[in-house]
Amino acid sequence: MHQARIVGVGMTNFGVHDQPLPELFSSAAFDAMDDAGVDAPAIESFYLGNAMGGQTERDTHLAPTLASHIGLAGIPCQRYEDACATSSNAFKHAVRAVEAGQHDVILVGGVERCTPTTGLDTPEMTSVFASASHRQYEQPTGLSFPGVFGLLTTRHMHEYGTTEEDLAAVAVKNHHHGTYNPRAQFGSETTVEEVLESPIVASPFHLFDCCPFSDGAAAVVVANEEAAADFSGESVAVSGVGHATDTIPLADKADFTATQSARDAANQAYEQAGVGPDDIDVVELHDCFTGAEVLAIEALGFFEDGEGGPAAANGETALDGRIPVNPSGGLKAKGHPIGATGVAQLVELTEHLRGEAGERQVEGARRGLAHNLGGDAGTTIVSILEVDA
Amino acid sequence: MSDAGLPDPLTHAEWTAGLRDGRLLGQRCVACGNETAAPKAACNECGSREIETVELPTEGTVYTVTTIAVAPAAFEGGYRVAVVDLGTEGNARVTARLEADAEIGDAVAFSDVLEVEEAVPVFR
Ligand SMILES: [Zn+2]
Repeated sequence: MHQARIVGVGMTNFGVHDQPLPELFSSAAFDAMDDAGVDAPAIESFYLGNAMGGQTERDTHLAPTLASHIGLAGIPCQRYEDACATSSNAFKHAVRAVEAGQHDVILVGGVERCTPTTGLDTPEMTSVFASASHRQYEQPTGLSFPGVFGLLTTRHMHEYGTTEEDLAAVAVKNHHHGTYNPRAQFGSETTVEEVLESPIVASPFHLFDCCPFSDGAAAVVVANEEAAADFSGESVAVSGVGHATDTIPLADKADFTATQSARDAANQAYEQAGVGPDDIDVVELHDCFTGAEVLAIEALGFFEDGEGGPAAANGETALDGRIPVNPSGGLKAKGHPIGATGVAQLVELTEHLRGEAGERQVEGARRGLAHNLGGDAGTTIVSILEVDA
Repeated sequence: MSDAGLPDPLTHAEWTAGLRDGRLLGQRCVACGNETAAPKAACNECGSREIETVELPTEGTVYTVTTIAVAPAAFEGGYRVAVVDLGTEGNARVTARLEADAEIGDAVAFSDVLEVEEAVPVFR
């Protein structure tokens, strides 16, 4: 089996981008190709993540369209959709194709536009986001996507005593990290009081517990070890990728606080990489809502079940804490252009492993983990990157 | 296999028709006993297609709940959505509108049907 490596990375700022998807994606893709030192003819296949282009901007069959915009017409192209885990799934399949020897060099990327400024208004976009919940047995109740995580988090609060202040501390921490990230949508601090005084979106979440609507794109070049050695980009190894799903609708899930798909995906990734949670130096995880970060740090094995609540308030997940979580600012502060999020996490980790993350650099990081969740934790993909493997 | 008078297989149309009759229909896997209030074509615990339609209890307890303030386009915010544990051996739970101040663990009962888009159960 070949060793897949990330050899180049690129992403746009997250925020508002008033340009068509091909134009938005091209800047991330060219940044990744230039970073890798890879020219278009060397790229053998293109794996794209875009979750909602058909619903939000009447734009489908996007993979060959975007490929044609960046000089890649003719190669096999495929688009993935798995709600918020969309581009991690594209990445997983690219990694497997490289591992299997099917392709030597692949471009993987994600792009999405979700802001009211460039697309649909908040009620319409809330409906589009809710389309990831069960069409027959959840959507007709009026369940929103913040509501899905509200149900999970309310149960966690009931079982373990997690408080609204604990949740707000996650937002405060991730906003603080975001101040060090020039690509972040929110580059400003917030406070527990400000979070708790912001209006409720879906209990227990206030507005500042929720990630924003975002536009943006991200891309990485994945290559096998031989091809990577020929390119100028400083590469990192993809040592493990796990992918698991759980029952939909939510009501059928055995345990609401476990996010079982994350546990299953993490176990697969840890096993493939031959490591455990104690071996991870830096984490980018799916904090679409503050409660999602609490569930994730437990599911990934960084905290015992029930002990994730106070982690942010205690400083354990801060940049200088025991296990730095979301140095980028996470979805909460960096932004969450759905189909770009998974690959953007890998861009962030690669920069830490190269020692290029600037003010938010996790010192000496040699192994990073990305956790990208789709739907009601119906899908989770966990990827482990490392400096030399 | 199913109780007399219950639709078999249980389709979404039959499930919503049941709600309008005041009945909460679900499924039990004949092979492993797993139950669901969201009908499917096979069991997710064991994969068996041998599933029987059952009439689920119309009383249960709130398993978890959220108040939706910012609502999807078809809805007006300020309502509660809950997952109600029906207390059955097969662990059936149903997603429903909750028109009560009930919190986790409180007893609630299926009272009527909300039809904004499609029929869903209302508990109070
Ligand atoms: Zn079964």
